Amino acid sequence: MTTLLTPPSESEGREASRPLKRPPRKIGRWVLFGAMIVVALIMLYPFFVMGVTSLKSEAQFLSGGGFSWLSWSSLTSVIPVGQEVLSSTILCSSSILIILCVGLPAGFAFSKLRFRMSTGVFLIIVSAMMVPLQAILMPEFVNVTKLGLTGGYTGAILVYAALGTPFSVFLFTTYFRGVPDELIEAGIVDGLGYFGALWRLVLPIAVPAIATVTVLQFIQIWDDLLVGLLFISNTSDRPITVGLAVLAAGRTTSIPQLMAGSIISALPAMLVYLGFQRYLVKGLTMGIDR
Amino acid sequence: MTTVTTPAAPAYAPKVRRMTLKRRRQFAGVVFALPAIALVVCFIGIPIGQAVYYSFTQWNGATSTWIGPSTWTQAFHNTNLWTALRNNGLLLLSVPFALALPLGIAVLLHQRVAGWRIFRSIYFLPTAISWVVLGLVAERFFAYQGTLNSIIHALGFSHVNTNMLGYQSEALIALGITFIFTMIGTNTMLFLTGLATLDPTLEEAARIDGAGRWRIFRSITLPHLSRFVQLAFVMTVIALFSALFSLIFVMTGGGPGYATTTMEFLIYETGFNQGDFGTAALYGLILFVITGVVGVVQLRLIGSNE
Repeated sequence: MTTLLTPPSESEGREASRPLKRPPRKIGRWVLFGAMIVVALIMLYPFFVMGVTSLKSEAQFLSGGGFSWLSWSSLTSVIPVGQEVLSSTILCSSSILIILCVGLPAGFAFSKLRFRMSTGVFLIIVSAMMVPLQAILMPEFVNVTKLGLTGGYTGAILVYAALGTPFSVFLFTTYFRGVPDELIEAGIVDGLGYFGALWRLVLPIAVPAIATVTVLQFIQIWDDLLVGLLFISNTSDRPITVGLAVLAAGRTTSIPQLMAGSIISALPAMLVYLGFQRYLVKGLTMGIDR
Repeated sequence: MTTVTTPAAPAYAPKVRRMTLKRRRQFAGVVFALPAIALVVCFIGIPIGQAVYYSFTQWNGATSTWIGPSTWTQAFHNTNLWTALRNNGLLLLSVPFALALPLGIAVLLHQRVAGWRIFRSIYFLPTAISWVVLGLVAERFFAYQGTLNSIIHALGFSHVNTNMLGYQSEALIALGITFIFTMIGTNTMLFLTGLATLDPTLEEAARIDGAGRWRIFRSITLPHLSRFVQLAFVMTVIALFSALFSLIFVMTGGGPGYATTTMEFLIYETGFNQGDFGTAALYGLILFVITGVVGVVQLRLIGSNE
């Protein structure tokens, strides 16, 4: 499989796969354009609601008229935004680091350093991708609690890492299968050793795959509710998504302030998405885009 | 392998070297794979086994008493389980919409109207944000003083007022609509990738042969996309069983009553609100089997083109 090395992405194949050589009638074009605008408005609706609602005070929200910065200026007194963003950042970066440090060597091993039963082990790990956390939630929760890991971030980080590892192993293995064996062999023969080959040869080659895993996992973990809700016992250590969800479910916080918090929680994920869109697309369509 | 480059060397020397090389390589392979294996076994493998054991016990998280197979027969007599399964079943009705709408949007984007790249970015944008946030917005949309009623009033039906999340019969529909919205980005992405792999000369040839647009779509585009549609179907169904938690938590809390409690929410509710860990573990296994069956289908699909 060389899927990742030669992705037939939309942006690259512009000339090659131009779908309509003969321009359709002008009216048709305008109808199309109108339809695209309508869909865009629907997809932007959540952002519109968040923006407009957050610019109202609670009284203005209930009466419908007027705008003010009140919800923003009083935001930190209701939602500890700074602390929550910090928690989210710590959770994301630590989990992703573990996922990469564990997934990259494993992918290298399953593709280039095959050992006895390695295919079987690989298939078992990949099938773990299909296990939803909810299916093993109760034992997982009790295990992590009994190990005393719910006090800080450790428990949540380990759960995130374990849930993200199967996909990263799958992606790295598939990716390295597209790298010629000779390259690695040459490095080993040149005296690099296996750790040296991993560090100096495999790691530089794997940058696109690393980016894909990082972007996908960042969005996944940043947006997650269940793990952060259950595996972090101190409410002051809560990540922003969990903080928002709990306040929203409580039904006592003012809606404009919840929307302001939502904007802050959505912003990092949106920026990452806009900056690394093609890696996200690559990761989501992994394995079938040929 | 270096066989080709050293044909003149004495026969015994490279053979010995290659033997040790092979063994060293295998050893390195095991060492490199071990952390990943350990993590997956400890946090996914072992809990599956534990869930099986605990499903036969009465368990509150601290102490467990062995009951036996009767826990299973008891669970299947619990109406909550059937309500949750029925809710999941009804939500399956949203899957065709979660596929057809993105398919239409992908075809629209594929026409490459002016600014299609910007449109593409906009269409995928909600994919980046949390379902907690989307649930929050949806809750506002369906609320009594929400956007939906404003739209209805603006259309002239000023005496009509909806409150979908407040009624047992309608809350699930609202959840389904929200689910369709949240799946649009991902599925559009999938279909667009599929369309990009379509050979444009095929469409061109069909057009020259006098085929209309609809005919081209039905006879060329759709068959080409079938694999992508299958994969999107499987991913959507899995999301339906395992990713709705955030939406439900924010929008309805599973209610009114149990009207929007799906399998995954029932597990959470049974375990953490009722403190019945044993039954929750059992429900987890049922969910495990359901997603497992769907997952096997997905592996087949991915495997079939490797």
